[in-house]
Amino acid sequence: MTMHRRELLKAGAALGASAALPKFAFAQAPSFAPKPGAWRQFRVVTTLEIAKPNGKAQAWIPVPSVNESGWFKSGDSKWTTNGKAVLKRDPKYGAAFVHVEWSDDNAPQRIEVVSDFSTQDRAVDLARPGKAAALSEADRKLYTAPTALIPTDGIVKETSDKIVAGAGTDLEKARRIYEWVVENTARNAATRGCGIGDIAAMLKSGNLTGKCADINALNVGLLRAAGIPARDIYGIRVAPSKFGYKSLGAGSATITKAQHCRSEAYLSGFGWVPLDPADVRKVMLEEPPANLPLSDPKVAAARAALFGSWEGNWLAYNFAHDIALPGAKGPAIEFLMYPQAETAAGRLDCLDPDNLKYVIEAKDVTAA
Amino acid sequence: MAAAQAAESATFVPWTRGERPPFKLDDLDRQAVALEARPGQLVLVHFFATWCEPCRDELASLRRLVERTDPARLRVVAISVAEVDARVRSFIEKVPVNFPILLDRDRAVARSWEVSALPTSFILDARLQPRLFIERDYDWDKLDVAALSISLSRLSPAANHVATVQSNQRLEDSQ
Repeated sequence: MTMHRRELLKAGAALGASAALPKFAFAQAPSFAPKPGAWRQFRVVTTLEIAKPNGKAQAWIPVPSVNESGWFKSGDSKWTTNGKAVLKRDPKYGAAFVHVEWSDDNAPQRIEVVSDFSTQDRAVDLARPGKAAALSEADRKLYTAPTALIPTDGIVKETSDKIVAGAGTDLEKARRIYEWVVENTARNAATRGCGIGDIAAMLKSGNLTGKCADINALNVGLLRAAGIPARDIYGIRVAPSKFGYKSLGAGSATITKAQHCRSEAYLSGFGWVPLDPADVRKVMLEEPPANLPLSDPKVAAARAALFGSWEGNWLAYNFAHDIALPGAKGPAIEFLMYPQAETAAGRLDCLDPDNLKYVIEAKDVTAA
Repeated sequence: MAAAQAAESATFVPWTRGERPPFKLDDLDRQAVALEARPGQLVLVHFFATWCEPCRDELASLRRLVERTDPARLRVVAISVAEVDARVRSFIEKVPVNFPILLDRDRAVARSWEVSALPTSFILDARLQPRLFIERDYDWDKLDVAALSISLSRLSPAANHVATVQSNQRLEDSQ
């Protein structure tokens, strides 16, 4: 009961702020209050080109494949290419991608993929458990299992146990883990080095810095270690934030570098609950004048909102981990958020747009 | 005092967890390289990533270490952890090194060697037994290879602790 009252107070405070204040008062009382109600349709165009293939090349381009009736509907994906392209899905998570292979190594190798989807804000009323459908046994197993990047034993389990000690409900445990991640993933100059890319290494090295794929993966791993189903959702920001948070939206129609992953926990009665501690840290780092403390009102507003709600300005590609790309020579990838490509010389660097050229454009096509 | 502090913050510790599994990894030219024992030669196995800031500076000091060291005494092998070949290749083109860079594409070797932070370096004796390791960056300009070589050849792995303390003191003092 205490828990519910606290949630209610928080929700009440956030609603009060947004309802009572006119928009120009933002500087005094920042508000970040996503509320479902208005679906938006988006079209995203991914163009990829391998300029110097030096032999046969292939590419894998993620397309929207999340379908959650309350907040995301994946539409069709179509493509134009001088190669041979097929829409494929990873068997475990159903993550969809266009797999294209080129046979002519002299021509420039090019593909354009056009994907439609619609989405809206999400907000779960954490004060009142609803009647969300129970999670299937198969999904519960899938979303509490470890992955290559997210071990759930050893130091992850020990850390999780410490954080949730004494907490009663799953909601309370998830809240504790979220707050712990928000408070402990700051950059610390005294830490030794970098993780090797998994959350156990982050915890062991003491360096809890990183981006969404690190911070939200840590959130997911700590939840799974506590027995709470949780998952990462890999995606990309497609529009600016309507709440004035520059760091939480796409800066322009070109979203080539706007990839972002969010996370969810499955809480009995509430269903999948949106969580994005990584974006709280992003607000702290990037919102002007930058390097904001946790006490900054803008940070506090985002922190309160991003446990239980998020804004529908983002494309959710998939929930997948450890994907073996069909036909690939390189190793399985930990997540499919960036276009991937290989030539005879091996896997191309998806973060090096000079060698693997791709451009992603997004447009709000909601009918007026 | 400054030396003592530096030694405290960046010191090798004895490796007590036994042998590490042998490995065979591709280098940047896609040639498979295995770790082979050579009489009298210590091996420095260095795990790093190009996105890891402290690792980048360390590559330059490793390069200087190789330059000033008799290759019969010490060999350096650097292992990039979980990066695509192309990224490592283009990084090394800009910052050339004089030791092999191997590619642990799927973290299998880093995991089997229990590496949890980058950079991490192991010093292996001539029989390829890990004897010392450090789980952070190190200023390799401070390494006295002759002293290290003597202390590791004299002492059994069980007596490593003493060797470490002595060799570190000598290394720091000699600079």
